[in-house]
Amino acid sequence: MTDTPQFQGTHLFDRLCWAKENLDGVQSDYRVVYEDSVDECAKILVPDPNWMATALQGGILPPVWVYHELAKDEARSDFKKHTRGYLLHETEPMPAMTEEEAIEYLIMKDCPQSVWRNWNEGNKPKMVICRKEQLPSTREWRNAWKITEELTVTDLAA
Amino acid sequence: MALGKIKADTLEHSTAGSLDTQYVVNGSAKAWVTGSSAAAIATGQSLNISGGTDHGTGDYSYAFISSLDSASYTGAVAPHGGGLRLATSYTVRNTTGVFAIYVGTSNSAASDHGHCGAAFGSLA
Repeated sequence: MTDTPQFQGTHLFDRLCWAKENLDGVQSDYRVVYEDSVDECAKILVPDPNWMATALQGGILPPVWVYHELAKDEARSDFKKHTRGYLLHETEPMPAMTEEEAIEYLIMKDCPQSVWRNWNEGNKPKMVICRKEQLPSTREWRNAWKITEELTVTDLAA
Repeated sequence: MALGKIKADTLEHSTAGSLDTQYVVNGSAKAWVTGSSAAAIATGQSLNISGGTDHGTGDYSYAFISSLDSASYTGAVAPHGGGLRLATSYTVRNTTGVFAIYVGTSNSAASDHGHCGAAFGSLA
């Protein structure tokens, strides 16, 4: 296995260029299905294979709280440009993750916080992690896809 | 990280003239991706992307790993694959961390289709 260079302090984009040259992509079968509005269809988050390789490798990606800090900055009414981008590059990188840990990280990075912080509140879950084979095999009626009402939070906790 | 580094503000050719290196830095794509009709990405078909989201028919977004400094970057997008389609950078959904692409038919109906895009701007 290729050793990750000591990347803390290296621009994150440079680390990604290193990863693209040195790591083989890892296709994940996991998919994250979530609903962030009752009026809209379910969304499906698909991990990028190059990103998954960096997550499994370790020493490349910043902690997910860095993205939350940047999102807070961007949500300010007077936001024009990021001034704390250094958090991406100077914070100690995450160690190697398992595929499951990587999916949890991806959820916290790329799903709306309103979904993953309260995924199990309500009559049915707002978010489900599944295998791609569990999704409909065709995209017919895609804009009507919803997480089934038959799936309860209790089912998922069991 | 032990990397060789060449610092230069200008590249000069013997006959063809010179080029300021800021053109290279500022003019390069900071992220690119080719996605399927379900926002899946084949190995090697992206840079600086953590994942794709399928929001519905023809409605896709991709998240950056290394964020851009502002949401007013330029997205260059195109349909990818056979058949006549149109694609647009869906700027309403773009943020410093998200690059959105909308794909439709020639009469503007949303359409599931492969697509590709590149983001040009400055990194955070």
